[in-house]
Amino acid sequence: MIPTDHFVRFYNEVFKALEARGHDHLVAYWRALGTLQTTELAESFRTGGLQAAFDYWSRIRDEENCEADLELTDDYLEFRMHRCPSLSKVLDNDAAPSPFYCDHCMGWIEPVMEACGLYAVLDMESRSEPHCVFRVYADKAKAEAFERQAALPSRPYADAKE
Amino acid sequence: MRYQETGQVHMDFHRTTNGTIAYLREAYGQEFLDEVFERTACDVYRSIRDSLMLGDPEPLVEHWRHFFDREGGDYTIERDGDTITMTVHRCPAIAYLESRGIEIDPAFCRQTVVVNNALAAGTPFTIPTEVQGGGRCVQTIRRAKP
Repeated sequence: MIPTDHFVRFYNEVFKALEARGHDHLVAYWRALGTLQTTELAESFRTGGLQAAFDYWSRIRDEENCEADLELTDDYLEFRMHRCPSLSKVLDNDAAPSPFYCDHCMGWIEPVMEACGLYAVLDMESRSEPHCVFRVYADKAKAEAFERQAALPSRPYADAKE
Repeated sequence: MRYQETGQVHMDFHRTTNGTIAYLREAYGQEFLDEVFERTACDVYRSIRDSLMLGDPEPLVEHWRHFFDREGGDYTIERDGDTITMTVHRCPAIAYLESRGIEIDPAFCRQTVVVNNALAAGTPFTIPTEVQGGGRCVQTIRRAKP
């Protein structure tokens, strides 16, 4: 059994193996994970909106041992990650990190958002430091405005088409 | 031990592992899936493999104990001379997936079989895994005959 604690290091190996076959293989895998997560989450987010998303990421913050601040406003949910446990483990690893590691988050989140009518923006800030800012909006225009301010927005599907 | 996580355990990663195994097996075949597990064994678990190379199986036993305990697995470890046997009575990963009603991919236990084989390759040990079904298996660290 690969322990749950080591899932992300296994995940990182999957990313590198797929990337070696071409970036579109990696993007297709993220899309498949998004479909898996859509089954789990989309109905809850669709009916519960930002509050349901806030409840989900509150649980994730605790279960995954994130050092993060979580805030719910009238406009958005913000997850401000100070120390990402996922990237931290991938960096604390005898195997090399995938250069696209951080993109997996939006890779699975974007299909969920498409299915539930919310809009997510992830400012990765850095691909080699474990901090980022993630927001979910109900209003697309407000999400786009936040994305324009982002230092390093994650756009795994848009970037794959370019 | 190279990795020794503490804090909460996010059991739902077993669901993502199961989904990943199903995806890789269906899209690319079992050989590709096994290659990823072999890389995980040789690169992520390099320190365990290095110890096995030097004839020391204890870091692997410590790894088994630490993570099966963290996930609430039901297992026993017995020693008979150079042979160390871990009998898993209830795999925590399988138990979690079953508790969620998730269909378990037929290749799910390849993660254990292939990782053990890859850890042992080129070392003085063999680590066969006997998958018995229902979340039960027997993993044996055995010094290979010269």
